[in-house]
Amino acid sequence: MNETTFQPRIAAFLCNWCSYGAADLAGVSRLQYPALIQTIRIPCTGRMSPKFILQAFRRGVDGVWVSG
Amino acid sequence: MDKCIACGACSDKCPQKVLNEYNEGLDKRKAAHVQYAQAVPLKYCLDKDNCLYFLKGKCRACEKFCPAGAINYEQSETQREIKVGSVILSAGFQPFDPSIYSTYSYANSPNVVTALEFERILAASGPWMGHLVRPSDEMEPRKIAFLQCVGSRDMNICDHPYCSSVCCMYAIKEAIIAKEHSHDDLDVSIYYMDMRTFGKDFERYYEKAKKLGIHFIRSRVHTVDLLPDDSIRIQYATEQGDRKTDEFDMLVLSHGLEVSDSTVELARRLDVELGDHQFIRSGSFTPVATSRSGIYVCGALNGPKDIPISVMEASAAACAAAGNLSEARGTLVQEKEIPKPMDVTGDIPRVGVFVCSCGINIAGVVDVKAVAEYAKGLPYVTYVQNNLFSCSQDAQDNLTEVIRAQGLNRIVVAACTPRTHEPLFQETLQNAGLNKYLFEMANIRNQDSWVHTDNPEKATNKAMDLVRMAVAKVSLLEPLQEIQLSVNPGAMVIGGGLAGMNAALSLAKQGYETHLVERESHLGGTARQLRVTAQGEAVGPYLEQLIAKVEAEPLIKLHMETTIKDVDGFVGNFKTTLSTKEKEDSVEHGVTIIATGASEYKPREYAYGQHPKVLTHLELDAALTTGQVDPKSTNSVVFIQCVGSREPERPYCSKVCCTHSVETAIHFKEENPDCQVVILYRDIRTYGERELLYKEARSKGVLFIRFSLDHKPIVEVDGDGLKVTVYDQILKRDLLISADVVGLASAVVSNRAEDLAQMFKVSMDDDGWFLEAHQKLRPVDFATDGVFMCGLAHYPKPIEESIAQAQAAVSRAVTILSRDEMWLSGTVAFIDQNKCVGCGVCWTVCPYQAIDQNEKGLAVVNEALCKGCGTCVASCRSGAPNLRGFTTRDVMAQIEAMM
Repeated sequence: MNETTFQPRIAAFLCNWCSYGAADLAGVSRLQYPALIQTIRIPCTGRMSPKFILQAFRRGVDGVWVSG
Repeated sequence: MDKCIACGACSDKCPQKVLNEYNEGLDKRKAAHVQYAQAVPLKYCLDKDNCLYFLKGKCRACEKFCPAGAINYEQSETQREIKVGSVILSAGFQPFDPSIYSTYSYANSPNVVTALEFERILAASGPWMGHLVRPSDEMEPRKIAFLQCVGSRDMNICDHPYCSSVCCMYAIKEAIIAKEHSHDDLDVSIYYMDMRTFGKDFERYYEKAKKLGIHFIRSRVHTVDLLPDDSIRIQYATEQGDRKTDEFDMLVLSHGLEVSDSTVELARRLDVELGDHQFIRSGSFTPVATSRSGIYVCGALNGPKDIPISVMEASAAACAAAGNLSEARGTLVQEKEIPKPMDVTGDIPRVGVFVCSCGINIAGVVDVKAVAEYAKGLPYVTYVQNNLFSCSQDAQDNLTEVIRAQGLNRIVVAACTPRTHEPLFQETLQNAGLNKYLFEMANIRNQDSWVHTDNPEKATNKAMDLVRMAVAKVSLLEPLQEIQLSVNPGAMVIGGGLAGMNAALSLAKQGYETHLVERESHLGGTARQLRVTAQGEAVGPYLEQLIAKVEAEPLIKLHMETTIKDVDGFVGNFKTTLSTKEKEDSVEHGVTIIATGASEYKPREYAYGQHPKVLTHLELDAALTTGQVDPKSTNSVVFIQCVGSREPERPYCSKVCCTHSVETAIHFKEENPDCQVVILYRDIRTYGERELLYKEARSKGVLFIRFSLDHKPIVEVDGDGLKVTVYDQILKRDLLISADVVGLASAVVSNRAEDLAQMFKVSMDDDGWFLEAHQKLRPVDFATDGVFMCGLAHYPKPIEESIAQAQAAVSRAVTILSRDEMWLSGTVAFIDQNKCVGCGVCWTVCPYQAIDQNEKGLAVVNEALCKGCGTCVASCRSGAPNLRGFTTRDVMAQIEAMM
């Protein structure tokens, strides 16, 4: 990918019991993906608050991914 | 094995490729391998049969490249002697190998696959990462077919007359997933004999599949031809006898379950009896006991079965195995001394950051020295260290020392993943006298170095980001207390039927006082009306014995003609008010098992109630026992299946009726071979070895006529007798049958004990069955701790499954009762009473019903029930609830530190 291509920064809120585990498995399987994704582990997507999403955007991320 | 850090270097460097059995041989693995990514423990191993060093004496590449020195070629099989009081056999099944069928061309075409191969094709961890392609050309198929009963219900080729129980459901599941994974509108057909979706919620799934456009074709395919373009042509006959052909890109064979030769050999060595089809023989009243005392069995080795029933049987076997050993419980336990944690409240955070190299796993990609250097500049960080392996014993000892010497009060470990290693580091914190919740991990291996291998610079930057976020959070963390709860060692079982009584007796056998509560004046429940089990054991005498045992058991306190009025408390500490006509009593107990049974649907159809010989299942059983109906003087009997089941109003299968009617039909034929016996059915669902009864019935001359929902039979009173009209789909005309007796296979319906559900804070599904915490993995637990279920209250089931479920519920209950006290997790919600307005949103959304109202009407968290999901926090508009360890402030700090 060349430098001029848009490279989004993504904040990922992952549920500890499923998606966070899946992200670990992606590692075990050595699946490669862009480094500009930052994970925050949450105990359950039920914990997810709209405030977190807004705050992440306010901090400048281009996308928010909630998975659980 | 202790040294392996699962980095995979051995596998990377191993030159030897072999077929990967985990993916059913559809792709390759190395001789140095880990069986599958989810393996626990995650450790690599050498496959001795294929490793070049073992084959040719040369190579040792893995040894050379292993950063942890974990390769040991000397390891060999060892024999150990272990003294035990009970043994549980759970050797499982092997999938039937369809190569012996020349008809299906399995051995000749890569596009004819078994269902297990197809499962791997659909799996994200499979050979094509879940992309649906056919093996021959890796093109996406547009049209596929499933053939059912391959290696099941077949005597001719494989000598497997039984039904494998699980194939109908997995075929539907795979068909639906295949459609989801397909980019085009995949055309899927399932060729079957009877669709056997008898489990909880299975019938709904079947209906859903039909709505999704999956074609269900009732036929046994007789010819499979391979075409030059790698596609497949099949020929079959319809029910009406028309010959048809169709072409498909792929064929999936729904192969059955069988017991492997090595398991048969094991059973022989252990001297336990096998049945006719090599499954272990167990009785309906002792469903997990083998013929040899002290040896128990569970899972598919005990007859073909699916995951929920296997899991349930596993708990049941554990209960049976522990029953005779209860005196020895806890005698080998060693208590661990944990130092009292120091008080760090109000202290300025002194954060220690430990950056792990994980050999070269992290350090090979991430510049760990730079990350460590970077961490030194972060707020509150007073100490930073880089370790080769942070999880090694010497690194743990070092961590303990450093915490003490440097006066650290918050720890960050930047390493593999908290999901595997958080408990280890937390234990070290405890040993160093630090509260274990003052800890955070930065995942710089599984979610960084391993997934950004080709981009060391970005991976290093990301590691710095992750460490910064972890430091920001850990600085805010406060020590959390784990609350200790005492456990009342008594149990309550609600419902004195077959399941309830078995549960009470098993609890007593394990040494726990049990209150058995029964609404009626007699014990026995529905089983009182049953004649025999599917295996032919008489129910009456067994029930009498069981009742006598319950009445004689000193540890069982019987409460007859009693109902539950009120329930207070929670796991370990229930206080239940029992009510009889005369008085009210309060009973304290630690766990509750709900076994309130079910009822029989009273038909409104088929002339029920208009003629004394139109009888439901249970009525017919009772009439046969009392002699009111005598097969010898009956000339014609007609059974009608699915009465009230599999209808829009009750879209579930009642599971027991097919077997029951077939077994009763055989009884009529045995008593009076001249009696005409007809069963009108929609699908015959004699699952597992019950299929043998179906076979026997046909061989004894019982007639089976299929009807469809839009062409239901008609029953009319005809003088003294009865007249049944049924549309025969093969002959395409109405058949008239005169009958002396009509047996209605009436649905099993829920008692809808809604008051009980409310009092114990447990849920029910749409059909009124009690809802388990997880249908597959926690089949007898409620989501609410300390409450369990068994018997018909959960879903219709035969006696052997009810008893196994009762034992399973006891096993689960004993995991609580056997503790003197329980420690609750510190990660629980709390409510700021100053902000709470008592609006009720939080206690409505709480999935564990862990929030109560206090005397002021405000919310309070019951920490014993809270699972720390944080849903209440997200739901509150006033910001009153918060979650310890994941407070809004903690998560916000991570977001702040993200960029």
